[in-house]
Amino acid sequence: MTDEAFGETPARRRVNFGVVSAQLGLVLIIAGFWTVFSIRAPGFLSSFNLFTVGRALAIDIVIGFAQMVVLATGGMNLSVGAIGVCAVMMGGYLMQTLGLPVPVAMAGALALGGALGWLNGFVITRTGVNSFIITLASANLFSGAMLIVTKAVPLNALPPEVGAFGKARIAGFVSPLLLIALGICAVLFVLYRYSALGRNILAAGANARAAAMSGVPVGRVVTISHGLSGVLAAIAGMMVVTRLGAAMPSVGGDDWLLPSFLGPVLGGTLLSGGAVAVVGTMLGALLVTTIRSGLLVLQIGNFWLQLYLGLILLLAVLVDRYRALYAERHGIAR
Amino acid sequence: MSLWLRRLLLVEWSGLAAAIVAGAGALAFIAPNFLTEFNLYVMLRSLSVPLLVAFAQMITLGVGQMNIAVGAIGGLVAIAFGGMMEVYGVPLGLAIPLALAIGALSGLINGLLIVRTGINAFIITLATGSAFTGINFGITGSIPFYKMPPALSGFGDQHWSAMPYLLVAPLIVAALLGLFFSRLAPGRQLLAFGGNPHAAELSGISRGRVVMTAHVLSGLLAAVAAVLAVAQLGSAQPTIGADWLLLSFAAPIIGGAALTGGYISVLGTMFAVFLIGLIQNGMVLAKVDPYWVQFVLGALILAAVGLNRWRAVNSGTA
Repeated sequence: MTDEAFGETPARRRVNFGVVSAQLGLVLIIAGFWTVFSIRAPGFLSSFNLFTVGRALAIDIVIGFAQMVVLATGGMNLSVGAIGVCAVMMGGYLMQTLGLPVPVAMAGALALGGALGWLNGFVITRTGVNSFIITLASANLFSGAMLIVTKAVPLNALPPEVGAFGKARIAGFVSPLLLIALGICAVLFVLYRYSALGRNILAAGANARAAAMSGVPVGRVVTISHGLSGVLAAIAGMMVVTRLGAAMPSVGGDDWLLPSFLGPVLGGTLLSGGAVAVVGTMLGALLVTTIRSGLLVLQIGNFWLQLYLGLILLLAVLVDRYRALYAERHGIAR
Repeated sequence: MSLWLRRLLLVEWSGLAAAIVAGAGALAFIAPNFLTEFNLYVMLRSLSVPLLVAFAQMITLGVGQMNIAVGAIGGLVAIAFGGMMEVYGVPLGLAIPLALAIGALSGLINGLLIVRTGINAFIITLATGSAFTGINFGITGSIPFYKMPPALSGFGDQHWSAMPYLLVAPLIVAALLGLFFSRLAPGRQLLAFGGNPHAAELSGISRGRVVMTAHVLSGLLAAVAAVLAVAQLGSAQPTIGADWLLLSFAAPIIGGAALTGGYISVLGTMFAVFLIGLIQNGMVLAKVDPYWVQFVLGALILAAVGLNRWRAVNSGTA
């Protein structure tokens, strides 16, 4: 395990037992589920199922990252899904209606995502109002504007290479989308671990006042985090476009709210800010995708899925809480 | 800006009242069907459930927390209420208290988890909300219960002139809440804790009791909203509550509640729900694209937050 929670002061950064054991626990739980599912349902390990699980996982990971980068500042972004769907429709419009080349259209969609996220950050830092309420309002502004402009008409005559990319398999079962998600993971890891910007973001999240007094431009750092969150939401949106081969106005929205929190929180990212777990977020997303796919393969059905996801989230935060208490009592640095 | 105008703007619901009067006036002028008895009845009836949903969230905002599970509790109560009457033949008089008890129990679970673990209310209610929705869909398989007692759906349709019977319940709740928060010790303690938890605890207010009270009441009001929604629709739909989240925050905040806790306005919340209802009704009458509703609601929240901020700065409490 390489992913101790970033954000401890360097002097205290010995091995962080709390977080390492949390992620070890997560790995064990995931391994347990994989064992059970592959014994109960032989189709679970088929290369087709592995491919679809990997593709769904890639999207869940990026959605989790979109939330994680804002959680790092101690805020939250309820408009992840709304920004995602705006990027989806923008990408579809640029490709299908304007006929721009696919990479240009996707860059345009990411730019829109970044701009919307930046707007969130700008309003939050300017007004000093809680990010919860600003992003709740902006989520509805964004989705509402998207519906007004597109009239909720899906764009399903995209260039064929878009859908082909979503169906592409490397070595028989690896989706290229998963490789992109892993690449983003590496970038974020470096950002929070080694860059001054990343350290500033975590400092601002841990204690905004102290950070400001030490010369961290807190407002700018928060705005950048929201912009990054928007770009990541747009990337997740583009992944959905390649999977569906179409730009649908019904993706994203509220459906992304729970997954966006599940990954980071299961992985050990603090809601209070100041610490992120990049690899943990990936593991959290893997657990969620595994359970979702396993229940589907076992034909337990989608109806009970939400109950299990809710219980797992609850269990994860409870375990985390008691582990922290235990660590505190035994004098292990959290 | 003249002094009287500034004073007036400092009262939290003054802007709302003005907007409602202006909006209703404009609508009556533009759309002749606005003032018909039937249109007013339809509009007022559609406000009954949102009023209770807004109150359910307002209470948790009062203690400085939130209840993301409002809609999930509503959905669970709605199908439990409909299911026990259709499948087990429970009489209406018994089904209503049982349904309310389920709502209060759900709120109690939320409160217990928050108090015992000390974890953020947002994440706890996000998790329990998902669990409640899962139970709802798991039991029903997304299939509604249609055979409701005629007395219930009859109550949902009856009205006295433009005044629907359904609206009586939220008005009674509003009066009780007004009394609770202004006159009764538990209500005052709730707001005191929301305003400054540390100071409240030092003054001998029990954190556990205050947070539990807020979440139980919130669950109870969500259950009342669910029962009214079943009466209004004439069937117990599993999707009841799915779209409550935005409104539940929009109305109390437009009505002047502080997100940080400690300050709420029952009257302001009511006016906010009326304003939202008026806007929706106006959009229907003006045949505007229904997609605008979401956009306008988002813009209203932002405007209200901005105004609250301005008011706080101007009254020196920022």
